Amino acid sequence: MKKVILTLLSLLLVVSLVSSAIAGGQFNGAWPYTPPPVGHFNSYATNAITLGMYWDLIEQPLAMYLWASGKWMPLLATKWSLNRKTNTFRVYLRKGVKWQDGKTFTAKDVVTTFYLGYLYNWAIWRYIDKVTAVDDYTVDFHMAVVCAPMVLERYVLRTQIRSDAVYGKYASQVIALLNQGKKSDSDEMKKLRAEFDQFRPDKMVGTGPFILDPKNLTESEITLTKFDGYWDAEKIQFDKIKVYNGETPVVTPLVMAKEVDYATHGFPPATEKQYIQMGIRIIRPPIYSGPAIYFNHNIYPFNLKEVRQAIAYAIKKEENAFVSLGDSAKRQIYMTGLSDNLVPQWLSEAVRKRLNKYDYNPDLAAKILTGLGFKKGADGIWVTDKGTKMEYELLVPAEYADWAAAAENAAEQLTKFGIKTTVRGITYAQHPTEVRAGRFQMAIAGWGSAHPHAHFSYYTDLVTYNYPSGLGPGMNFPLTQTTKSVGKVDLDKLITQSAEGYDVLQQKKIVEKLALAFNELLPIVPLWERYGNNPALDGVRVTNWPKEGDPIYKNSPYADNFVTIMILNGTLKPVTK
Amino acid sequence: MSKIKRLFSNYIFLRVIRAILTVFIVATLTFFIVRLMPGNPIEIYIGQLMSQYGMSFQDAKNQAAALFSIDLDAPLSKQYIIYMRNLLRGDFGVSFLSQGTPVSLMISAYLPWTIFSVGISILISFTLGITLGMISAYKRGSIFDHIMSTIAAILSAIPNYLIGILLLIIIGVQLGLIPVSAMRGTVSPGVKPGFNWIFIKDIFSHALLPIMTYVVSTIGGWTLSMKSSTLNTLGEDYVTVAKARGLPESRITFAYVGRNALLPLFTSLTMQMGFLMGGSALIESIFVYKGIGWALGASIAQRDYPVMQAVFLIITIAVIVANFIADLLYSKLDPRIKIGGE
Repeated sequence: MKKVILTLLSLLLVVSLVSSAIAGGQFNGAWPYTPPPVGHFNSYATNAITLGMYWDLIEQPLAMYLWASGKWMPLLATKWSLNRKTNTFRVYLRKGVKWQDGKTFTAKDVVTTFYLGYLYNWAIWRYIDKVTAVDDYTVDFHMAVVCAPMVLERYVLRTQIRSDAVYGKYASQVIALLNQGKKSDSDEMKKLRAEFDQFRPDKMVGTGPFILDPKNLTESEITLTKFDGYWDAEKIQFDKIKVYNGETPVVTPLVMAKEVDYATHGFPPATEKQYIQMGIRIIRPPIYSGPAIYFNHNIYPFNLKEVRQAIAYAIKKEENAFVSLGDSAKRQIYMTGLSDNLVPQWLSEAVRKRLNKYDYNPDLAAKILTGLGFKKGADGIWVTDKGTKMEYELLVPAEYADWAAAAENAAEQLTKFGIKTTVRGITYAQHPTEVRAGRFQMAIAGWGSAHPHAHFSYYTDLVTYNYPSGLGPGMNFPLTQTTKSVGKVDLDKLITQSAEGYDVLQQKKIVEKLALAFNELLPIVPLWERYGNNPALDGVRVTNWPKEGDPIYKNSPYADNFVTIMILNGTLKPVTK
Repeated sequence: MSKIKRLFSNYIFLRVIRAILTVFIVATLTFFIVRLMPGNPIEIYIGQLMSQYGMSFQDAKNQAAALFSIDLDAPLSKQYIIYMRNLLRGDFGVSFLSQGTPVSLMISAYLPWTIFSVGISILISFTLGITLGMISAYKRGSIFDHIMSTIAAILSAIPNYLIGILLLIIIGVQLGLIPVSAMRGTVSPGVKPGFNWIFIKDIFSHALLPIMTYVVSTIGGWTLSMKSSTLNTLGEDYVTVAKARGLPESRITFAYVGRNALLPLFTSLTMQMGFLMGGSALIESIFVYKGIGWALGASIAQRDYPVMQAVFLIITIAVIVANFIADLLYSKLDPRIKIGGE
């Protein structure tokens, strides 16, 4: 009898140990946040504790995007469709979903979410004029201005859905004001927004698999606990997610101490090297953007496309990328102002063949300048046909280490070529103001955008720091141009048209036109594309990371984070001990 | 007697007036200087979203929309009058970046932790520093003096944030002597504040690294200053006379040398009040310690003007009050010094 009891007890112990090892899985991440009293749980207002990539695990969106396949992973929505006759985007919601406070998720929550977005001028309201709950599980978005399905889909499906029980009273006030004809710039709406900015719910209530309980929050870490009532709970392998607070310098020791399983911070190449030596894997997902040289087109000879082309030829972009961010920077291949990762999706093979890659060729650069009547002086500096020496200043935000390194290297290479370039670092806070005001000769600023639709990349490249932004002359690059590749073009119009209408093929044609024009005119010279250098720790707490080259790693870590997706679909698993 | 009393009152009155005037000037200068800083909260927020997350300008602008309720275009004179009027009522205003959060609430949440960690470290560092400095002076030329002076000179030359990082990396990561992640912050999750052993133990364990950093980075300065001051005092006639009178060595050390050598350091100690109230943005950030320095660092980075103004003002007031108290105490410590210059 004694033996039997002992055997049973031992079995019980083994079973409980095994099950606790599996069920007790914990994932440790890191994201900067501001703790209370500044930080709060009104996820619309600034300084809300939303935790970036982990937000989708608390207040879940309708769907998440898989960048490699261009398909959506349905979450709170099960399907959606576009009615081109009525200009209505209809979303069918998942039934049986519960909020973390026990209430049932319905269409009302979606309506509330988007009407409060109106209060904050969300971009989607440029296209839609109404959000209606058709029934408890169907929502219609009516378009007043027809936009590209991909653009609308992203605005609708990628938005984190908030609880009507928490936010409903404010949403109903927005609807009432809209019914009275009050727009977002009306005094009434502004007053409501000011009032809502101060709204502080005592906790965040979501439909996601993890609960953010304020009791588990300190200034240094937050522990998210599993929500057993989550609609897809059986797929979730972790019981807890610990999110450490902090920016890169603060998170670095934690990664080194193997306390963090994954982080998206921008680590310097030297730190990254140390991680690799310690056996920590580095994942390099594309960010779909990077730094470029912006020119002040008011200054002669930057208004000549040949000069800009010569500059592109005079810089060894591979070198510039490597010295700036090691393996996490890759030179632009196609030089279209669009991420090379998005090129296959938007540009046909035929168009790609027509693109100039601007490979390093200082001889050709010199030939171009000579052809313009420029001469090299005895001091090795080029002199324009108007007799001015090519000596310029390159403005860069001093705090952005990778951009500053890119600027230093580009300046060095240009000076070696004969365009004397001096780097001037100014604070990141002042840099955009200076560029928008046109107070620069050359400047390093961002190109591209982490959005699958090419419209947003071209908006960044040609509008953000240009006169159409309405925030100053910026680089003052005229958007009506005559080109050899596509003839006369109105780039501003093309950018707008690229996101309008339902005809995706037509949009691709417009994007191709933009790409060819950009490639020829080079209003800005993209230096390289940034890739993440995300440390991923295998085998300590988390395992089953997909191998390098897996399509999931094409997801932008800041837009549709692949780790979030892999936690939701159960790919990542806790280590069983 | 009544004359001295009147003079004393008059002196205090003058000092109070001067202190108020200083506070007023600092408040005014701070108000304008913070607004002269490059960038504004909206621009910075949009810029960060674009450069860090590759967000398009439109999306970044939308995300920053909540900030647009800040009326940065209001005339500066109007903003200044409102600020001063509120200040007279003891109202520091509300945070720009967390609308509805009073700055006073933020300060009351952050300041105690800085006072706790910096206060303890000043106490330890000052006590240890003056002791070691005195020993060095007494053992001038000995191996102890050479080693101590060298270490002190090195420590006082290393910036405190570097010491903080080194402590974290060497003790925490390389040697693994302390749990790096568990010691971050001011208190562990789930530990409720109260006068109980669990809470007290917890806050001391969390403050250990910041305190160690402050102590290591400041002890060298105290040691060298005390050594120098003690050496000067040892050469004074009254010490020679005391020795000639055959007074016990311990009495000479503490009552004659120690007390007098300490006087110049007393002024430096009072100046530390600013540090006590302001903390260190870098150290508190490294250890994710929710102190006022951290809040100041974050508010500067985000251009949260009301928070910046309030913290600068508190530091100023702390220094003024500390100096005032120091002046009053000086006469008690050194009977040769009389208040009001008499």
